[in-house]
Amino acid sequence: MFKNEEMEINLGPQHPSTHGVLRVKLRLDGETITHCKPVIGYLHRGVEKICENQTFFQGQVWTDRMDYCSAVANNLGWAEANEKLFGITVPRRAQYIRTLLNEFNRLASHLIWLATHALDIGAMTVFLYAFREREDILDMNEAFCGSRLTTTAFRIGGLREDLPPGFEKMARKFLAKFPTCLEEYENLLSENRIWKKRTVGVAMLSAEDAIALGVTGPVLRAAGVPYDIRKAFPYAAYAEMDFEVPTQTAADTYARYLVRMAEMRQSARIIQQCLDGMPEGPVMAKIPKILKPEVNEVYHATEAPKGEIGYYLVGEKGSTNPYRFHVRAPGFINLQSLPKMAEGGLIADIVAAIGTLDIVLGEIDR
Amino acid sequence: MNKFLRTLIPFDIAKGMAITGKHFCKVFFTANRRKVPFHIVSEYPEVVAKVQPRYRGRLTLLKDEQGEIKCVCCLACEKICPTQVITIEKGKKEGRKMPYPVRYDFEMERCIFCEFCVESCGFDSIILNHQFELATYNREDFSLGMEGLSQNMFEPSPVGKFSVADD
Ligand code: SF4
Ligand code: SF4
Repeated sequence: MFKNEEMEINLGPQHPSTHGVLRVKLRLDGETITHCKPVIGYLHRGVEKICENQTFFQGQVWTDRMDYCSAVANNLGWAEANEKLFGITVPRRAQYIRTLLNEFNRLASHLIWLATHALDIGAMTVFLYAFREREDILDMNEAFCGSRLTTTAFRIGGLREDLPPGFEKMARKFLAKFPTCLEEYENLLSENRIWKKRTVGVAMLSAEDAIALGVTGPVLRAAGVPYDIRKAFPYAAYAEMDFEVPTQTAADTYARYLVRMAEMRQSARIIQQCLDGMPEGPVMAKIPKILKPEVNEVYHATEAPKGEIGYYLVGEKGSTNPYRFHVRAPGFINLQSLPKMAEGGLIADIVAAIGTLDIVLGEIDR
Repeated sequence: MNKFLRTLIPFDIAKGMAITGKHFCKVFFTANRRKVPFHIVSEYPEVVAKVQPRYRGRLTLLKDEQGEIKCVCCLACEKICPTQVITIEKGKKEGRKMPYPVRYDFEMERCIFCEFCVESCGFDSIILNHQFELATYNREDFSLGMEGLSQNMFEPSPVGKFSVADD
């Protein structure tokens, strides 16, 4: 009497829980997903091509606009890739300030992840609390570089300006209250039965699959692989910092939540060390006015909040523009694991899978 | 047995409710009191929002003490701008040795407020002011110049035209 058929539906591109303009084509058998295919490109601006037509100095503003939730981390990768290309050594104080701001940015990015991920799954309160703390971090961004989201925080060779007066006080005040806030979030979520039902055992991605797909960041660490570029290939001032790389073995959404919460604690630790051990000195290296590369190509990877962000730059002799510029965006590569996570699961769980990947479409489409 | 009890009695929910309740009470008993100096939510359009000293707002041309435009048309800002929104026309003015900008056009709708122009200017003749309420109804209002109809590049830091704080 009834026909048995698979149904095809679209999730997005305008859907509040796809975190931007992501479209996911789903084929459903009842409520079970049998086929899942992300469709991207709605936010494509051609950042890589634009950067090839601009000087090395100007390129930084485009990295802000890729992953707008972690602009400082993107700036850091760009600045360091260029410094590698030009052979510039950055003063130690600048390295420390970079590390400090980068960790603040990691906190901001993880907070926005926690807020939206919880909101997707149905926990509204955490959203408001997490944004309250994120606001303080954005204020600090504003105090340092004058802008909240699109920071353009660093310059090739160091920083534009030193920390503003009063910054340290703001940072210390934030650090003093942040552990209590983290406890608050954990009290709201960690034990909550609805949260656990929606996350434990949902969207599994084993370590083998994660490595095969090139997934990095907290998603990989939640599968038990302790790979963090800050530890494996230290950059900025991370070699001098004392911190741990939190891992979990369950490889589900709940494990990723635990990893990110633990990471926030480690970030706060790094910030504390940066503030305590801040060396004196200049913040800008001596660099020539017009930058012309000597080496031909560099690849520089840093640990953005979402995973490994790598900048590949090819310089031409005598040219002030990059000949080729490519970004290895963590969101783009992490998104490949979405079919692996979602297929065979329920349709309601795809929202959890998208949220746990912590994607930003500005970076995926570029 | 323990697990059964935990499922039966919603401790986890109670824990969450306690936190929410705590914050609710805190706000409920302190809201609208003069003594409380700080609220998390600011009443923005009614209360003027404070920005940090380094805030990057709208581009402004500066004048020196004699009321002369400081810009000497070195075109550094025009070259460095990542979105090419500055157009300068060089000119001469009687009694002034340095070149004088006849035109200084600034297309604000494409400006990304990066402050590269200010950084590149060796004569301190431009700044980004603290103005952030920059929306207008007409596209033409975004084209600022040395002499404009409603806005121009010299206004020090007017509050936005459509701010409630204005009235
Ligand atoms: S702030 Fe940036 S985009 Fe705006 S005019 Fe200056 S250089 Fe150009
Ligand atoms: S860099 Fe300064 S002096 Fe040179 S043209 Fe621009 S505003 Fe004028």
